[in-house]
Amino acid sequence: MRGSIMLNILCLLFLLGGCAFDVIHIEQFPAKLDSKISCNISFVLVKNVNIQFDGGYKRILKQGTKWNCIGRIVQGEVYKTKDQILTIEASNVFEAYIVVSSRKLVGFYLPVEHAFSALEHPIDLVIDESP
Amino acid sequence: MKTMIKAFSAILVTVLLVSCATGPKFSEISPSLSDAMSDKGRIYIYRTAVLGAAVQPEVKLNGETIGKAIPKGCFYVDLDPGDYEITTSTEVDRHLSLILEKSQTRYVRLNISIGFFVGHVYPELVENEVGEKEIQQCNYTGQQ
Repeated sequence: MRGSIMLNILCLLFLLGGCAFDVIHIEQFPAKLDSKISCNISFVLVKNVNIQFDGGYKRILKQGTKWNCIGRIVQGEVYKTKDQILTIEASNVFEAYIVVSSRKLVGFYLPVEHAFSALEHPIDLVIDESP
Repeated sequence: MKTMIKAFSAILVTVLLVSCATGPKFSEISPSLSDAMSDKGRIYIYRTAVLGAAVQPEVKLNGETIGKAIPKGCFYVDLDPGDYEITTSTEVDRHLSLILEKSQTRYVRLNISIGFFVGHVYPELVENEVGEKEIQQCNYTGQQ
């Protein structure tokens, strides 16, 4: 009985330690942004895009925000906006741009780390390319 | 018992007051602040949370100390455009990576979260309209 309680306490301490220290990571892969490739495209989001991350936190790409293509990486076109701040986070926080392929949000480009972080499930974007 | 509670409360209030930032209110000095030079950008760094007031780690920018995370304190740095990493260290390092562009202003709030032995202070990039509002209640401490 006493052993079981001790084991539970140890498990709890382990979990708390795991939360407190640097154990949550964002999987990221090196990505080279090619900004010379022409991508004079911009779009406006017609609907909010709700993104649920594995770590339990959420991000919303807001309806009405305008996104401008700044280049390409292997995984798709990279878009940034001046209309809202976008970061992704785990133990640390990274400013991020979105990566779009075939009108789907497939992940994020981290401009400081020069890295790509994939979404587990790509999200369809409802966009207006006319502006 | 009541005396002990009163004494404890008085000590707690004193510790909180001593731990908080001193200096002019940002709202008082902001009208006299000059803008960053046209070829630079500006990052405001501030902490509104008084919780965990005793935890006041240094704030580092690309590895160099630029200030402290003092409750109700704020400061700013003018920088060349580029990539920056803002780090706070308690029992762990927490960092925020961000891009600063020419003539751009960015706001970084220092939040506190639960730690194992001590609280963790972590930097968060916030929308300018949020930062502009929240920083008004802080005291300007200046950068180190």
